[in-house]
Amino acid sequence: MRSSFRDFLADLETAGELQTVKKPVDVRDVSGLIEQSPKALMFDALEDYPVWRLAGGLITSRKRLALAMGTTEKDIPTRLERGLKNPIPPVMVDKAPCQEVVLTDPDLSSIPYPLMHVLDGGPYISATLVVSKDPEFGRNVGSYRLMYRTPTETGIDLVSPSDMRLYYQRQLDQGKPLEIAVAIGVHPFDMLSASYKAPIDLDEFAISGGLCGEPVPLVKCKTVDLEVPADAELVLEGELLPIGWTADEGPFGEFNHISGEVKWNPIFRVKCITHRKDPIFYLLQMPWENDWLCAPVTEASGLVALRSASVHPVAIRSPVGSCGYWTLIASIRKRPGEGKNALLALLSVAEVKLAIVTDEDIDIFDPDMLDWALTLRMQADKDVIVIQGARGKHIDPSTRAWELGKGGLPLSAKLGIDATIPEGLSKKSYQRMRHYGKDRVKLEDYT
Amino acid sequence: MSPLAQTIVDELRTNPRQFAEIVDRHRDVPWPNFLKAWGEVRGIEALGRDEDGHYLIKKD
Repeated sequence: MRSSFRDFLADLETAGELQTVKKPVDVRDVSGLIEQSPKALMFDALEDYPVWRLAGGLITSRKRLALAMGTTEKDIPTRLERGLKNPIPPVMVDKAPCQEVVLTDPDLSSIPYPLMHVLDGGPYISATLVVSKDPEFGRNVGSYRLMYRTPTETGIDLVSPSDMRLYYQRQLDQGKPLEIAVAIGVHPFDMLSASYKAPIDLDEFAISGGLCGEPVPLVKCKTVDLEVPADAELVLEGELLPIGWTADEGPFGEFNHISGEVKWNPIFRVKCITHRKDPIFYLLQMPWENDWLCAPVTEASGLVALRSASVHPVAIRSPVGSCGYWTLIASIRKRPGEGKNALLALLSVAEVKLAIVTDEDIDIFDPDMLDWALTLRMQADKDVIVIQGARGKHIDPSTRAWELGKGGLPLSAKLGIDATIPEGLSKKSYQRMRHYGKDRVKLEDYT
Repeated sequence: MSPLAQTIVDELRTNPRQFAEIVDRHRDVPWPNFLKAWGEVRGIEALGRDEDGHYLIKKD
């Protein structure tokens, strides 16, 4: 059954992972409170916003991500991969909870626009599902941050290459705005689909349907020719003004845990706000929620790359310490030479700059086991690959992107470590010690 | 321009500030009211940024 944002909140509560705050809270303080909580938080009362509730810090562990995806922690990437392989097209509906209230005289100060970080250039909405359309390429869904500017305008970060950036450029070339609709408060499946770098002709809503096993119900927007998930909490409709990259935006606490810099970006002019009668605002707490949502996307891309290289993956993970983006660790069922093949495959994924491959007997989720494999199965002169001059990412300070000037694209080196059993050595060389009698005697019989 | 927006402009004229610093100086104002006033400030052509992200009022 299709799950909504509210269903996910209910799942978190049932699992004991959600704490409700009853005391009224100033919206300026919610991010600081979320940061202190080991649990996801639901604020039932917001000062000056009587209609609204606010939820945040929802996905800050692999456990909660697994809960969102209805799977186990280790099966998250295969679950995502399966959804990608079996897309289900969305369906249109006439009536939608997200349009219970329609405001054609929009005022962004009437929604609980949160302030997150000390150096942010303004209040930000980070949990966005941004829908746009191109006459040739069709619909696109992505996630872009929105910085409050005025009651009818936000900044939007459109610096990085993306399908929507292409759509905007094509409209800009004709001096026309690009219509967009922004859905906030959608199920994590929708957020994951929006994060996935799908081919331009693949509808992200179909990916979300594949993940859920049910089509995403979409409703036509009120003022733009676009569709949004009917069960969203809040929708902003409007257009990106044809001004190019001319308006200041940022800094913002980025997903790499670093405060970014002032960028030059387009402006989003809001024409209409729709929401539920009793809306819940979703504050996606940076960087952790972003990183936990990013990791399965990187992992699924790693699985696809390994299978394309005819390597049999057993497990894969992108550690949240690497922002779920820059590192991939995989265990494989290895045939001769495939440790290196696997490294080459993993290092081909986006901007992954560190890949580690080990054998199927190593639990890659156990850091001590991984260290053991790295220590005893790897020789630095034979099992380390360094690739220079690959594509880098601006927000990795070690690429020194600021030295390139405006529009310059940074390069990065990539490191691969093959921690599989070296060719020619038998598994017997790695036979782990076992303690005599451990399976026969029981400590509780003696204590 | 509202009195709050004018106060913020006057403050930025003498002291460039990060957004959070501006917020800190007006914590007594309800958040929706602050956001409305900030919208007015953003509409001023003389509003600028320095490379560290401070908001400032550009000199004539």
